[in-house]
Amino acid sequence: MKSIDEITRLSAEDLERISLDESIPVPEELPGKVREAVAATAGQANRRRWILPSGIAAAVAVLVAVGLTLTRNPEPKDTFDDPYLAYAEVEKVFSKISGAVAYGAEKVNESEQTLDKFSYWKCKSFIPSWCCSS
Amino acid sequence: MQKLYTLVVLLLVSLAAYAQDGRSIYNKYSDLANVEAVYISPAMFRLIGKIPDMPVEEGSVNLGPIIKTLSGLYILSIKEDQVAQNLADDVNRFIQKGQYELLMEAKDNGEVMRMYTVGDDFVVNSFVMLARENDEVNFICLDGTIPRDQLEALIADAASN
Repeated sequence: MKSIDEITRLSAEDLERISLDESIPVPEELPGKVREAVAATAGQANRRRWILPSGIAAAVAVLVAVGLTLTRNPEPKDTFDDPYLAYAEVEKVFSKISGAVAYGAEKVNESEQTLDKFSYWKCKSFIPSWCCSS
Repeated sequence: MQKLYTLVVLLLVSLAAYAQDGRSIYNKYSDLANVEAVYISPAMFRLIGKIPDMPVEEGSVNLGPIIKTLSGLYILSIKEDQVAQNLADDVNRFIQKGQYELLMEAKDNGEVMRMYTVGDDFVVNSFVMLARENDEVNFICLDGTIPRDQLEALIADAASN
């Protein structure tokens, strides 16, 4: 039996001569194995043929997405040209935010006072007056 | 091949999510009728930060220390009912996607005010306030790398004035 290296070194004429030599026995499973090998090689070639175009398509899709994101979301124009006016606006914003925080704190305070009153009346109703003298 | 498609889909989804920020909301609504819009850019904040002695009136807070940490301010005020509702919906979606944390909420007679921040224990990368009063919606978004303690101190200071 020849090794694969020896077979690859053979010329086309030698290969043809050997293939026509009917004295050499052909294994029964050989035709099936050859078909499988050819099918596998064709599948790989098909896959390879698709990788390049789909890679290009993916790259184009990414570029389009990045482009769309950047063009649809440009930096707006500054509302103020004068930094003093801009500063005054920022100050106004912080006073609005702090006003809202103060409002929230006031509500918490009111709730605490209601809770205190509730505790006082609860105490008055069930416990003798000397207990709530304070 | 499937891995490649998954990668592309993930990239597109992340780009779409990235597009949802204060700027995209500002760009969407700022040109509409009955909308008051204010934008202060990072360049303007840098300019304000360079002014040596910014006057601080009595009863006002000194924004000097924090101003240099700001990189963008977006304000929208909308009175028209349907547009105001759309803005509120968009901001709520952006808050959910941006993993903002609710800082404070106050409700009174149908008026709602919510404040959100995103960042870590030390730095606030974005602050959002959404207030709804009657048919008016106000949206404020502050971007930057604001030290959390400075921001809280400033708000507390302003609230006590």
